[in-house]
Amino acid sequence: MLHIQVGSPVRLLPDRWTRLAAPGGTALLAATVVGYVGAVDPNQAGHYPTCPFLFVTGLYCPGCGSLRAVHALAHGDVPEALSRNPLTVLSVPLLVALWVLWTRRRLTGRRRSWAAPGWAIWGLLAVVIAFWILRNLPGFAFLAP
Amino acid sequence: MSDYGAPPPPPPAYGAVPPGQPAGGPPPNNLVWAILTTLFCCLPLGVVSIVFAAQVNSKWAAGDYAGAQDSARKARQFAMWSAIAGLVIVVLYIVFIVLAASNS
Repeated sequence: MLHIQVGSPVRLLPDRWTRLAAPGGTALLAATVVGYVGAVDPNQAGHYPTCPFLFVTGLYCPGCGSLRAVHALAHGDVPEALSRNPLTVLSVPLLVALWVLWTRRRLTGRRRSWAAPGWAIWGLLAVVIAFWILRNLPGFAFLAP
Repeated sequence: MSDYGAPPPPPPAYGAVPPGQPAGGPPPNNLVWAILTTLFCCLPLGVVSIVFAAQVNSKWAAGDYAGAQDSARKARQFAMWSAIAGLVIVVLYIVFIVLAASNS
């Protein structure tokens, strides 16, 4: 049953919907992808293409295991997701936070006034490259997908 | 005389807009695309996108606004080409699967 409060301030201007179209569409797309990867198991061969880098070089790339990690996350299995690709799991809260900030900027119409310090992103680069190298080394099997 | 040029200006107080900073805030660094291509799409080229994103923020913080805009442009172009490369790989894979299925 549709329940609308009398006198409630429902002032959703078409303008606001237009501004929310991009974040809303992104959320919908992300939900669709997570739903698909959750339903179609990447642990079974033949469902998804092999990582092109792994296929060509035989080495793991920083993204290897991300499909299985997303599949595990879709089923609420965080330890399994972490063992497949810890960086993918750790990037999820960051991506959600960036999405929230983006949506807020779209709503308020304000521009981005703050930029993360450069060293933070250089640090991210260092972490990704270290992860890339280490997960291919013996002794760091826990980082391999 | 020092060979190292003028010392960098002191960092601005929190919330203050440094003099000479263009209106409109820092340019988009496409960090989200960089993370998505590197960690979710298995495209190691995404690390180059992270380099561009870091350049945007470093140059912006240093007051090199033109340089930051230039890095932002490169970051966007590179993200676009990564996305196209990803699409091409997926299409090639589908073609490969269909050909393999029709031959067996």
